[in-house]
Amino acid sequence: MKDRKTEFKWFTITQYKEEEEYLSKMNSKGWRFVGVNLPGFYHFEKCQPENVTYKLDYNQEGIKNKSEYVQMFSDCGWDHVLDFVGYSYFRKVGENTAADEDIFCDDESRLDMMKRVFRGRIIPLIILFFCVIIPQLLENGFAERQSTIQKVLTTVMFIMGIVYLASFAHFTKDCHTFEKGLRDEDSIRVKYYAIYALEMLGLIIFLAIGGLLVHNVIL
Amino acid sequence: MDAHIKKVYVPMTETGFYILLCLQEPNHGYGIVQKVKELTNDDIVLTPGTMYGSLSKMEKDGLISFEREEQKRKIYRITELGREVLEIEMNRIERLYNNMKEMRL
Repeated sequence: MKDRKTEFKWFTITQYKEEEEYLSKMNSKGWRFVGVNLPGFYHFEKCQPENVTYKLDYNQEGIKNKSEYVQMFSDCGWDHVLDFVGYSYFRKVGENTAADEDIFCDDESRLDMMKRVFRGRIIPLIILFFCVIIPQLLENGFAERQSTIQKVLTTVMFIMGIVYLASFAHFTKDCHTFEKGLRDEDSIRVKYYAIYALEMLGLIIFLAIGGLLVHNVIL
Repeated sequence: MDAHIKKVYVPMTETGFYILLCLQEPNHGYGIVQKVKELTNDDIVLTPGTMYGSLSKMEKDGLISFEREEQKRKIYRITELGREVLEIEMNRIERLYNNMKEMRL
């Protein structure tokens, strides 16, 4: 019987809730999470099946001051597992803890975490998108002669782009719904409409490029 | 007090209020968690993600200041600005409480 295994699972940077559930489920099936590599290889070690709650925090401040950050969590009964692409993974064994064990206890701080993810991950990626991926796609896509590698690269970038744009839009919607429940709708409307507009613009540019690419390849 | 502080901290969350209340005496994050548990008969258990986020945000906004580190735990204390915000909140809650008592049937 093997006592280690690796599973491939792809979560976008905003699907940390799904990731938490996945890790907890694996633990209850007797597989303890021990490591993760890009783009999504999760490593597990065989263990006694037990109820363990996994939670992800995104706090760059905390990673910079790691020892006191981890200390605060361990004082409160959470073990630090590892850090990965800006996220810190924590776990707590569930024997005598409530089912809804969480590292956040109010919606303000849940929203603050979403905002940190937004600033730390989404905004840089949106910039990358407009400044690198789109120009690159245009250049590759319309080059006179394309090598196979260029074609593969273009296709991969195109698919990644669509997936990421969709996941940003989804996350923005989550943030919006969440913040609406906490604050006056008028004060946040402009901000969210600007972000939606940017995402829509990205999607339109993308679909236009996609259309042209397909047209170029087929005809 | 500038508009940003007012917008973010008035009114403030229960977590924020308890942090300022406790930091009238120097204390670290987990110390605040224990103190609040004691004050509320275990009803309010502040969690580490919320605590860490709130403490760094309040430090950045100048409501509390870092004193020293003890066994990997950062000890904070309320600042003048923090006291001002706490005072506003205390008055607001006091009024809320008085009105409640008056209108309770």
